[in-house]
Amino acid sequence: MSLTTHSGSSTSPRSADSESLGAAFARRRSQHPLIFFVARRLVALVFLCLGVTFMAFVLTHLVPADVAAANLGVHQGSNPVAVRLYNERYGLDKPLPVQYEVYLAHLLHGDLGVSEQSGRPVGDDLAAAIPATAELAITSMILALPIGITLGVVAALRRNRLTDQVLRVLSLAGMSTPQFWLALVALYFFFYLLGWVPGSGRLDAAYPAPPHVTGLFTIDSLLAGQLDIFANAVHHLVLPAAVLAAFNIGLFTRFTRSAVLEVLKNDYVRTARAKGLPEWIIIPRHVLRAAGPPVLTIVGLAFGNVMTGTVLVENIFSWPGIGQYSYASATTLDLPSIVGVMLFFAIVYIVLNLSVDILHGVIDPRLQVT
Amino acid sequence: MSAAGRLVGLGVRGFRRTPVAWQNPLAVVGIAVAGAWLLVALFAPVIAPHDPLAPTAALYQAPSWAHPFGTDDVGRDVLSRVLWGARVSIPLALLLVGLAYTIGCTLGGLAGYLGGWVDELIMRGADLFFAVPQILLAMAVVGALGPGLFHAVLAVVVVSWPGPARVVRGLVRTTMQSDFVAVARLVGAPTSRALTVEVLPNVAGPVTVLAALDMGNAILLLSALSFLGLGARPPDAEWGSMVSTGAQHFESWWMGMFPGLAIVSVVLAFNLIGDSLRDTFDPTTTVTPLGK
Repeated sequence: MSLTTHSGSSTSPRSADSESLGAAFARRRSQHPLIFFVARRLVALVFLCLGVTFMAFVLTHLVPADVAAANLGVHQGSNPVAVRLYNERYGLDKPLPVQYEVYLAHLLHGDLGVSEQSGRPVGDDLAAAIPATAELAITSMILALPIGITLGVVAALRRNRLTDQVLRVLSLAGMSTPQFWLALVALYFFFYLLGWVPGSGRLDAAYPAPPHVTGLFTIDSLLAGQLDIFANAVHHLVLPAAVLAAFNIGLFTRFTRSAVLEVLKNDYVRTARAKGLPEWIIIPRHVLRAAGPPVLTIVGLAFGNVMTGTVLVENIFSWPGIGQYSYASATTLDLPSIVGVMLFFAIVYIVLNLSVDILHGVIDPRLQVT
Repeated sequence: MSAAGRLVGLGVRGFRRTPVAWQNPLAVVGIAVAGAWLLVALFAPVIAPHDPLAPTAALYQAPSWAHPFGTDDVGRDVLSRVLWGARVSIPLALLLVGLAYTIGCTLGGLAGYLGGWVDELIMRGADLFFAVPQILLAMAVVGALGPGLFHAVLAVVVVSWPGPARVVRGLVRTTMQSDFVAVARLVGAPTSRALTVEVLPNVAGPVTVLAALDMGNAILLLSALSFLGLGARPPDAEWGSMVSTGAQHFESWWMGMFPGLAIVSVVLAFNLIGDSLRDTFDPTTTVTPLGK
């Protein structure tokens, strides 16, 4: 964690007249810790993105795969002229460092390259897929957070009793169930047997997509006042989001339980109980307020789990999002798309963790940015 | 004291040293289930009633006494295939957790011990792996190497080392700065002795917990890759790939249900073990034994 409790401040005891550049920098930093903190993390973001592109390049060139043959098909792949033209067009005839340089130069101009599977710019593909995944991921977090935290508090208060042990098994089961299997079991019961939910996609074929504002169908349909489309979108959203939430419900339950147990050990909780405050006041006012920040720190991790889950769940529910797109990219060795998807995930990861850290500092003022 | 008495004494002491893991009934359940699966993996050829790869009955038979888990789309016995599947998932998970932890602990240990630019290089490298979802990286690796069970194992190793590396680095650093290591050095213990006697025992506990939890994750990730058609392929008796085949035959629910339950049970067993080990080893959560 890059936030620590009051650690040594970076200013050094020097007289003002002999202040060096470094000391001036340090003084500035101590005056505006948050700005410097955010700036440093943003610089780290740039380096991380650079690293991710490099890693993706190395990965996809581990084995000299014949990209041209893979994308041109059997007929054109055996035509030397077609292969040469293809390689020249995508710079594949150049040595790898040159290819990397060309890619980075394009990236600086916001150009992620052209996807080899769709023939469209990767940026356009991502822009089309991200809202679908975002809607799914956000919905699943909205489901997982309150349920997981409630169960975690209950488990902590009933520590080592039967309720706690049952919740321990259930939460660990949520984290032990393969998401692809859970998705199929859910589809089997709620779609195949009961017919309660539609099987796949974001909307029934009868409904047109709502006018594009955010790309999230639920929000866009509400903005346009199309309640029937909103209902249909929610109907499609519930099952995949619930499947995605299962793992995180388990994670939040386990984590909240240990965070609450930590807080319950404190003297002020004992004092509150000793002076006769009822549990329904102690839990929200004394316990949850202190246990909140540690639980918040795993929201970033939980979001990563959702992103991993989307690869499997989107493929099963035919959900046109990043998960399906990245599966198609990886299996066709579509380098520009793979790098684009990885960049997207890296940026989400950093921004999310940065927001969590900042929020952490806002909620718990004892924490100071270093 | 006789040799036998000493052995018993040692046994009792060893028993007392891990009280919570044994007094926690769920940990015992976890150990029992994981042990049972280990036995199944060892003795599958003996206990499986039928050949896992050859058709033995009519197609799509619902579960019955003759075939408790039914038969699949080629008439193979699903129970036999599930039992044989243990021979794929469990040894491979052991292998890849072993490999990932060897790499991760070595790199993390070096980073923590040497510090400086080595530390910086290794840990920034590890950061890259944390920023991208594991399955996405694993898919890219398998995509580059070509589908296959062996490549899937390699891919999971490639994406799994940063976790232990980060933990080991942190542990080595904090232990090296602790007073007891300083005292050991002060009284003249050479570096090698300080590392093996003082540092290693403090690192080993948490790493064991993580490894138990990662056994479950490794099985999940490997079966997910097989489900996507990137690891084991049909007709191999592998749980993920069996679920994938089952997904195409919804009316024969038993084809995908039982291999999935096999994954859940073995992963849950490892997670139960890891969870109670964590209670035992983690000094920040004080656990009162015997449910007090």
